[in-house]
Amino acid sequence: MQKIEAVIQPSKLDAVKDALVEIGVDGMTILEARGHGRQKGHTEVYRGREYSVDLLPKVKLEIVVTDAMVDDAVNAIIAAARTGTIGDGKIFISKIDEAIRIRNDERGEIAL
Amino acid sequence: MQASESTGGERRNLYQRRMLEIRGAFEAGGSGTAALAARTSAVDEMVTALWQSAQKANLVLGHGVSLLAIGGYGRRELFPYSDVDLLFLLDAKVSEKEIKEPIRRICQEMWDCGIRVSQALRRISECERFSEDNAEFTFAILDHRFLAGDAGLYTKLTSDIVPRLLDRDRSAILNRLLALTEERHAKYGSTLFHLEPNIKDCPGGLRDVHVCGWLPMLDGGTDASAVTSTDNADFRQAVEFLRLVRCFLHYRHERDDNTLDWQAQDAAAAVAVGVNGDRSQSVDAAYWMRIYFRHARSIERCLRRAIEDLPPRKRPRNFTLKLDRAIETSGEFRIERGKAILRPAPAPASGAEDPAHSPEVVLEIFSAMARTGCTLERESEERISHALGPISASLEEGPALWTRLQEILLGQYAGNALRVMHALGLLELLIPEFHGIDALVIRDAYHRYTVDEHTFVLIDTLHSLERDAAVARPERGSHAEWASRFGALLRELPHPALLYLMALLHDTGKGRSTGDHAEESARMARGLLARLELDSYESDLVLSLIENHLEMSSTLRRDIFDAETVRAFAGKVHTPELLRMLTLFTYADINAVHPDALTPWKAENLWRLYMATANYLDRSVDDERVGAQEARELVDRVSALVPDQRAAVAAFLEGFPERYVLTRSPEQIRIHFGMAERLNADRVQLDFRYSSSVSELTVVTPDRALLFANMTGALAAWGMNIVTADAFSNRNGIVVDSFRFTDTFRTLEMNHSEHERFVKSIYDVMTGAMPVEKLLSGRRRGRRKAPKVVVEPRVEFHDEASSHSTLVEVIAQDLPGLLRGLSLTMAAHDLNIEVALVDTEGETAIDVFYLTHEGAKLEKKEQRALRSALLQAMEENAR
Repeated sequence: MQKIEAVIQPSKLDAVKDALVEIGVDGMTILEARGHGRQKGHTEVYRGREYSVDLLPKVKLEIVVTDAMVDDAVNAIIAAARTGTIGDGKIFISKIDEAIRIRNDERGEIAL
Repeated sequence: MQASESTGGERRNLYQRRMLEIRGAFEAGGSGTAALAARTSAVDEMVTALWQSAQKANLVLGHGVSLLAIGGYGRRELFPYSDVDLLFLLDAKVSEKEIKEPIRRICQEMWDCGIRVSQALRRISECERFSEDNAEFTFAILDHRFLAGDAGLYTKLTSDIVPRLLDRDRSAILNRLLALTEERHAKYGSTLFHLEPNIKDCPGGLRDVHVCGWLPMLDGGTDASAVTSTDNADFRQAVEFLRLVRCFLHYRHERDDNTLDWQAQDAAAAVAVGVNGDRSQSVDAAYWMRIYFRHARSIERCLRRAIEDLPPRKRPRNFTLKLDRAIETSGEFRIERGKAILRPAPAPASGAEDPAHSPEVVLEIFSAMARTGCTLERESEERISHALGPISASLEEGPALWTRLQEILLGQYAGNALRVMHALGLLELLIPEFHGIDALVIRDAYHRYTVDEHTFVLIDTLHSLERDAAVARPERGSHAEWASRFGALLRELPHPALLYLMALLHDTGKGRSTGDHAEESARMARGLLARLELDSYESDLVLSLIENHLEMSSTLRRDIFDAETVRAFAGKVHTPELLRMLTLFTYADINAVHPDALTPWKAENLWRLYMATANYLDRSVDDERVGAQEARELVDRVSALVPDQRAAVAAFLEGFPERYVLTRSPEQIRIHFGMAERLNADRVQLDFRYSSSVSELTVVTPDRALLFANMTGALAAWGMNIVTADAFSNRNGIVVDSFRFTDTFRTLEMNHSEHERFVKSIYDVMTGAMPVEKLLSGRRRGRRKAPKVVVEPRVEFHDEASSHSTLVEVIAQDLPGLLRGLSLTMAAHDLNIEVALVDTEGETAIDVFYLTHEGAKLEKKEQRALRSALLQAMEENAR
């Protein structure tokens, strides 16, 4: 089992969700986030007041999938979230030791 | 050992059989109350049998111990999967240690039968103590019932201990009960209109029924049985219904789960639970839910009344209104102790009209409720609810109704007044369009409330924004920060009532099962707007907002930092006013979906989209001009007002910024067109509209040097403070400059005779008959109050905003004479004002000018020179 965390543009969330559902990932956690990578913020002036956008709105999506699914899931995310411009986001993958379904104590991949 | 086990097994079988019988009887159409009583007596039998055998085996139980049913079990209300609350009551002499084992055995046996027992072991003296932290125990023993054991001890409890407890701690217990009730309601957004209500804990649920039972005990020391007899039939029916539904849910979920989720709603509707006692015919789920809401409403109303009936000293602060004395009286009603009370009905023989029958009086009451937060006194409420026929017969629509509706919508407690109007059927009488969404459950994963309640929560949110705008320095990034920012926007709205009206109507289309509810809502709203006789500008604004009410939410799902997204969105909202209204609506709409739906993250994105779009709208004015193509529809609408002049209208409109036509009603444009037509006779045409708040003066004249500067100078000389202004010109160089201003010295208000002299003097300045300097030399300079907020002056240039002019944005302290100073400076630099947009936000003036120098953009050098000159002019004006 591996965890895929993808930080993406909020506007790409629906597309990424659909792409993941399509390949059979039905559970996911979505977090509203702020941040920046190489794409730094900018300053917006509105009616004489400056509003600095140092942290940009992002969405972080977390899914845990079986090892066999990882490549498909990553490709689906990339295909749906890529615009080719700076700020498209990043994907992080890490190993997961155990998954437990709280309702019935199922463990391992069956609990995903 | 063997024998006792087999008894246990038998007991278990017997109990399970009894439970199946009860379930069978229930499913065959038995009442909930019957099921509760049957389970209660089955458990009673088991408990007393267990007690007796335990007593035989252990003599300790012979004296000084009694067994009581408390809580729901004490009330004989054991739902199929409810816990069974037992109290083992000990006198002072019994040893706790010795008694523990037999008690454990009794409880163990019950667990083995499948009963969830929650037992308490207390010395009788402990029952007399009330602890805030464990108030539930005190509430539970209010519903005590003797089961077995030492009857003398029980008598001591009922005749001695409990009365003493109540005597001493009555008000503490009562206050705690009310506080817990309020907390519980708050957890459910203080509304009963949930899409998936918890029928025990939600407002209007069974827990509220219990509170209704406890209040009289705590209030007057009467016993519980007296309560139900005093309550009305609606309440009893509602209790009956809820018991039935809770039994249904327990059997369905096979546990103590009281959430009426969508599947359960379907299942209940399929067998018509509680509908005329007949469960063979299925009903529509939405219809069935309305029945549920009606009953929950009765219970909530009973609880509210029971709380209101408490003597004032027992009402905790939160339930008390500020209005404890009569603050307002009209001939027909008065407000006393936070309640609106109608004048008593006249005797039928007198022939006088009952004030409850007068739409005027009734609407005035609701407007007072919206304004002050008072509630409607019980008898008055009943009289109004019975008077809907006569009210409807003499109801006048049109501007009078709109005036009343505005008062209600704009009151800070509008949500509450509207809820009561809705509950009484009065809202549907005024706005039949609202009927379709009464207690309507629309199933989606995000909404928490029914459609009507969502609407009221939305209106509440908007009013809370008005209050939040006053918060001085909210923490950065907090909800409060966004609320105060959006609140400031709300305060700048010229027509807030239209926003509230739009909010009230935005989802009415959900009652129809057509595809697009926004379109359907707009279609339905059209009829109402016509009945209220809103002018075309106002009703277009409302309709456009309703039709587009989801646009901003859906734009938020796109990339809001992309200029194209912003441009497309701006193309839908057209004007700054509509943008502000839609922004505020969207904020409140998201908040009303669900208590946690509006995260600071979403609020921030909404603000950014607003800001980007507002900037876009101000910075695209010069380039988006009316051409023959775009204007066709508008020409149609204006020339409908002036038949036979279609070509002339088209020629007049050509070349105006789109902003001009989008921010004016066809009627206003027709007036301007008429003025332009008269220019041959007189080169200066003025249109003055006086109002005690903000007056408006429009000049139509051929463009020339110093025009804007002279107008602002003339207004400043009269002491008028310009709030907003705009200056536009068409292809033929005809200028339409409109100024909206307040009358600082109340010259025009105090002296109506001065209106003519005022217009004449502006006219003389415009024609050049009177030099503006001369007028200004006699100018009164009032004492200036120190500003509440100090605004640093700023001058910003935007070269890319227009293809042929330079945009300059000036931010400054709003002071009289500011515009005159700015426009004179521009004239001195030989600059032409192509477009001007003047706005004021609190104490900040925000002035946008599109300038050209000899028909071209300003060069960098010219910009630098202009900036320092403008800053200097502002400094001089501020002195």
